Amino acid sequence: MTEEQLIQEIVCGNTLAFKMIMEKYQDRVFCVAMGFVHSKEDAEDLTQEVFIKVYLSLSTFNHKSKFSTWLYRITINTCINFANRNRKRRLLQSLEDVWYSAFNQRDEEQTPLEKMEISERNLLIKKAIDSLSDRQRVAFILSKYEELPQKEIAAIMDTTEGAVEQLLQRAKNNLQKKLKRSVGN
Amino acid sequence: MSNSIKTQMRTENYIDDFIRREKQTEPNPFLSTHIIAEIEKMQQAEIKKVTWWQIVVFVACIVIMIFLGISVGNSYINHISQEITMNINDNEIENLGYYSLNNYE
Repeated sequence: MTEEQLIQEIVCGNTLAFKMIMEKYQDRVFCVAMGFVHSKEDAEDLTQEVFIKVYLSLSTFNHKSKFSTWLYRITINTCINFANRNRKRRLLQSLEDVWYSAFNQRDEEQTPLEKMEISERNLLIKKAIDSLSDRQRVAFILSKYEELPQKEIAAIMDTTEGAVEQLLQRAKNNLQKKLKRSVGN
Repeated sequence: MSNSIKTQMRTENYIDDFIRREKQTEPNPFLSTHIIAEIEKMQQAEIKKVTWWQIVVFVACIVIMIFLGISVGNSYINHISQEITMNINDNEIENLGYYSLNNYE
């Protein structure tokens, strides 16, 4: 069954067809969500929210763009809203994660000090990614987490390939600036 | 290689390493089942939800029933014939002697 046929089936209320679509795209949506929230539980919640939105609004999908492009757009909007809504809570969660991962890593070769350093470094990287502007962050996550070509990122963000390249370059420079002193040494 | 380039490369490696580890995280294998269950629950809730026109129809039905009840009641009272009432003998219908037990002792 083609993707278009599946979509028609879903619009008619066939939840089994929706499950097939979901199993195909679930990992991609989850991966993008991880890029935004850096937490498995939150990413799962977001994946659920995205697919419920998709199910409810699938009848409005006009087939002008690819289904995956439309799905990525919904995912990105949902993730940005979630990230802005829960900024404070996620900062506290990140601090908890540092302590948890520092004292619960199973790698016996690392000393507690090394574990602590890695956890702190990860926290700084998370904060640096989160501090990027929305457009830079979207381009960066789609490029690094999903490894999408610039053409597809441009279609998702409704912009040109040149603009995407510029956004990626700026995101990279900003991350370097923010992490150079704390992580690079 | 200058120090700044080394630092830059090391930072990039750390970022790539962080992203690689985040990408390795796998979602709950039952996530899709959970989402389908959630959607079905929403659909059932929608079916159970009473819409405004259902309330209007219900109220209209009650008003019609009251109106019919009153009009049927009125029409019954208007058509009672006096002749029929004249022929009714209450003593024949309810003979209280049966209940007094005097004749059967």
